[in-house]
Amino acid sequence: MEIPKSAVNDESRRRAEDAALAALVDRYAGALYRVAFSVLRNAADAEDAVQEAFLRVLRHRHSLGEIRDHRVWLIRIVWNIVLDRKRRAKTRPETDDVDELARVLPSAGLSALQLSAAAEHHSHVLACVDRLPPKERQVLVLSAFDELTSVEISSILGITESSVRSRLFRARNLMAGLLDHERSLR
Amino acid sequence: MNSNLHNPKASGSVSVAVSGSISSSAEETLRLIACLPAPAGLEDRVHAALRSTRRSGRVLAWPKPLNQLNDWMRTAAAAAIVFVVAGGGWGVYTHVQKGQQGQPIKVIAMPHGLQPGGFSGAGAMRTPQTLPGPTVILPIEREPAPPKGEKKPAARPAPAKAGRAQTASAAIPTAQPDSSQ
Repeated sequence: MEIPKSAVNDESRRRAEDAALAALVDRYAGALYRVAFSVLRNAADAEDAVQEAFLRVLRHRHSLGEIRDHRVWLIRIVWNIVLDRKRRAKTRPETDDVDELARVLPSAGLSALQLSAAAEHHSHVLACVDRLPPKERQVLVLSAFDELTSVEISSILGITESSVRSRLFRARNLMAGLLDHERSLR
Repeated sequence: MNSNLHNPKASGSVSVAVSGSISSSAEETLRLIACLPAPAGLEDRVHAALRSTRRSGRVLAWPKPLNQLNDWMRTAAAAAIVFVVAGGGWGVYTHVQKGQQGQPIKVIAMPHGLQPGGFSGAGAMRTPQTLPGPTVILPIEREPAPPKGEKKPAARPAPAKAGRAQTASAAIPTAQPDSSQ
């Protein structure tokens, strides 16, 4: 996404920046949407977050050439946006996770009853994820993205790689405990 | 170490140590959500949002012919603003200096009999109160003193208020005039 040095003219430089931004949208909008959806769990909110992230990039498009890893940089932007939105959304009533999940989850080869049961199970798991401490929850959510390595997660969260590992360890232990406790109550 | 956290070989002992079936089912849910496809037309909508922001974002813009000389015009405008502000400030400063030099300093005379730093009465005079009118003070008439030889009659006991008072009066004999004298 390097802007050519020959673009000394303002007009051509602006065009180069626009082209670079358009390429970023085409390439990473989907990944950013998935990151946003994993936290917000609402399609419209996630799309809003993606648009807001690219609007922020538009404001800083002059410094696009200085960014080393655009993917991590963009995920970090959208991550901060969704965390901010999530914090603000605590005052609003929560959306019904079961219905939303039943709508978005893949339903190929599943009956309506199975789909409903699967959505309820996932919703239950997500409720347990929400009960985790924020630091552990963030690492656990980001670790679910196959394309993100531990180094990239540490870069997104602004912590060391060893902290990522220890937090993930704690998160998995806590999740196992929470789910076990829930099963024993049933 | 650039490793994937879900690859047991890559992430070392972490995922191996706590790879219980319970927590792995939870991670399965998270991975399922992480793999959800983006809605169709997301990129187009983002492009449209960026275009509309670009159009509405520029409220003031240089005219097209002046746009070529953008840097020169900005520099000239900045220099003109600095010149006007600095010149205005200098003008006010010199004007005040001249005014102070031309006029003699006025000194306000202090009234007589006033110590420096004290307050004056500002010529105010005391007016006596006339509305209530003068009050006449009458001399107090004193009763003539009784002769020294005469004894006072014994004090009569106070009227009994309660039974306790009666018993007290019964216990303490009243002073009687001495009949032997």
